[in-house]
Amino acid sequence: MIKIACQEQLLPGRTLQEKDAFAHDAGFDGIELRAKGDHAFRDRLPELRQAAREGVVMPSVCVDMAHFFGAFDPKLRRDAIDQLKSQLSVIAEVGGPGAVACTPASWGMFSRRLPPFEPPRSEEEDRVVLLEGLAELGEHAAREGAILALEPLNRYEDHMVNRLDQAAELIDAVGLPSLRILADTYHMNIEEDEPTSALVAAAAHLGHVQVSDSNRFQPGAGHLDWAALLSTLDAIGYDGWLAVECRLRGEPATAVASIPGFLRRNDVCVPA
Amino acid sequence: MTTSTRRSPLTAPPFTPTTAALPTAALSHTGRGADAELDRAARRVLLTNWRGHATVPAARLYPHQWSWDSAFVAIGLRHLSPIRAQRELESLFGAQWPDGRVPHIVFDPHVPADAYFPGPAFWQADSQGTPTSGIVQPPAHALAAWLTFRADPAAARARGFLPRIYPRLVAWHRYLTTRRDLTGNGLVSIVHPWESGLDNSPAWDLPLARVTPVPTGEFTRRDLDHAAASERPTDTDYGRYVRLARDYRDAGYADSLSGHGFAVEDPLCNALLAAGEHALAAIAAEVGADPAPHRSSAERLTQDLTDVLYDRGSGTFFPRDAHTGALLRTYSIGGLLPLIVPDLPVAGALIETALGDRFRLAEACPPPSYDLIAVDHDPVKYWRGPGWINTGWLLWYGLHLHGSAELADSLRRRLLDRVRRSGFREYFDPLTGIGHGTDDFSWTAALVLDLLRTPPGTGPTSLGAAGLSGSRRISSGWSSRLSRRPGVSRDDQPESTATAPARPGTGTPDVAPGT
Repeated sequence: MIKIACQEQLLPGRTLQEKDAFAHDAGFDGIELRAKGDHAFRDRLPELRQAAREGVVMPSVCVDMAHFFGAFDPKLRRDAIDQLKSQLSVIAEVGGPGAVACTPASWGMFSRRLPPFEPPRSEEEDRVVLLEGLAELGEHAAREGAILALEPLNRYEDHMVNRLDQAAELIDAVGLPSLRILADTYHMNIEEDEPTSALVAAAAHLGHVQVSDSNRFQPGAGHLDWAALLSTLDAIGYDGWLAVECRLRGEPATAVASIPGFLRRNDVCVPA
Repeated sequence: MTTSTRRSPLTAPPFTPTTAALPTAALSHTGRGADAELDRAARRVLLTNWRGHATVPAARLYPHQWSWDSAFVAIGLRHLSPIRAQRELESLFGAQWPDGRVPHIVFDPHVPADAYFPGPAFWQADSQGTPTSGIVQPPAHALAAWLTFRADPAAARARGFLPRIYPRLVAWHRYLTTRRDLTGNGLVSIVHPWESGLDNSPAWDLPLARVTPVPTGEFTRRDLDHAAASERPTDTDYGRYVRLARDYRDAGYADSLSGHGFAVEDPLCNALLAAGEHALAAIAAEVGADPAPHRSSAERLTQDLTDVLYDRGSGTFFPRDAHTGALLRTYSIGGLLPLIVPDLPVAGALIETALGDRFRLAEACPPPSYDLIAVDHDPVKYWRGPGWINTGWLLWYGLHLHGSAELADSLRRRLLDRVRRSGFREYFDPLTGIGHGTDDFSWTAALVLDLLRTPPGTGPTSLGAAGLSGSRRISSGWSSRLSRRPGVSRDDQPESTATAPARPGTGTPDVAPGT
């Protein structure tokens, strides 16, 4: 049985409790939080603790900042790592053991497919930076009992980690079980030769899944083969979350509410 | 840690992944989770052997697309992804020849040319640039296409699956019923043992003995790289196979009785064709074509098959040597498989034969490919004794079709138990259950998946949407593309959205071929 979470900004409602009521009625099982910089996420702790006490399930948090742990600028890198460590601590508290904090290597910083094409840092230097950052984050995640999930992005949004096998290689190099892969169906559709084969190959490292369709809209709005994707996740024994991160086509509340039903209709796994 | 009043999903043990490689010992043999575990393992085999457009029968031994394998694979794949099952058949028929024949192998140009013999260099054939072989395999495709459609009619309609595949299936059957009716008696001839699907069956020994083998020095087998020689055909037989294929190639793949050194009217091919015509009648009705010609063709084929190849005294069908007109009186599994033909007048007698000493259907499993009491029965040799899951599946299908639901359910259970214990092997000793041939064999996985998803007592005649756990269907479109409203996501500007009419996920009448 798949577990489906929805990112908080997609849900109508002023408070987490109101959003949760809507999500629950629509068939979601939890809420994926979003974490802005400047320790804004830590500052939400009273709100998050109260929501958790009232039964809101918050298994994961997704970074929502302008810079990332793979930044070219060492100061921005340092800040991103500090922010992520704080986010890991917070999500471990409100999400429970095994809670997930998500981050790409970078987002919107550089693309080898767009001018000026050659990044200011070599691939070897990129790798050193990523391994250092992942080691520090992975150790912190392990101390907190949480998981850091590294998300490959498509080539236009990041120049360093685009495919699941690249993320797996970095994670293997660090060697910490608190580091996992985040598989995002939208990015996989662009980058993987065959998304289901990539999932099978990455099964041992898979820690989180984000879902949106081929066009970044909600599942069902594009042309992804959801039956194949969901059946693959079940076949490899993935029992983590599917978190909805997408744009919405149509009337927003209606569009969001339709997602759990759509995914479950296409979940042709063997009945439990 | 806080308490949750609703549920606490994060207290479950950490995710422990399973690998694609399938250690047999990992399959639990009993307990409530056994079927679910087997179901997942079957899907891992299909996922691992998927090549983006089609499924290879086995990663090393058979690294290309095989014709009747794809039909059986589609029957299972429809439970993993109905769209993927459609693509499996579409990619095969994409390599169909202009004369309508569906080649038995469609070669993957990315696989080294010497990975399989006979490869593209031997056949010297292609379909619009895609290298293929020049012979065919049994026509299980119309049945597979219909079952694939029934798994998710809405998704199939949205992709135009049946309207596109129907004319190709018609052309395929027309090739068989015209070019391959070598004696003019209405029955299709195979012109190479490999065309039977039961490649090395003793049924072909007699006509094959007339063929002069190509000396072994003139070709290099690749099958022995991956399987024990004791389980594979002899070099002499292989030399005969090469001779027949080379002669056919050198004749430009022209069909005539005098041109073929080997020509046999085979019960399995003709039975699948008759069952396929029933399926085409159902498909025709769905796409708005006239089903009547297909029904007539099915009736005619059933009549000819029974009149010419059925032997009342033996209670089985025998192949017929098209050159001599003589029945080839060996008991092979192909002689029982006309059971898949709806309205077969001799179904009861066939089931009696299957239950007798030669096949022991009530206990031997998978049903042996060849007569258990024949002196040359060999339980480990390719098509000369062991059992295959696809022939077991066809018998299961036929038993349901002809009202033997209890026996069908028993066969289903025993087929699943065999695979649970021995893995997704290519074939099995029918009495001991020991697995042979390659592992992670695609049609074994696919048909196990189909059996698992078809609950006991229901059977194939109720397959279709019900085979996908009731009402689960892929939506053919996003039903709320109705308004131009901004999205609320973080990462992008709202986009204008084209309006598209919602397409209701309509069902289909619960009709199967032959009902």
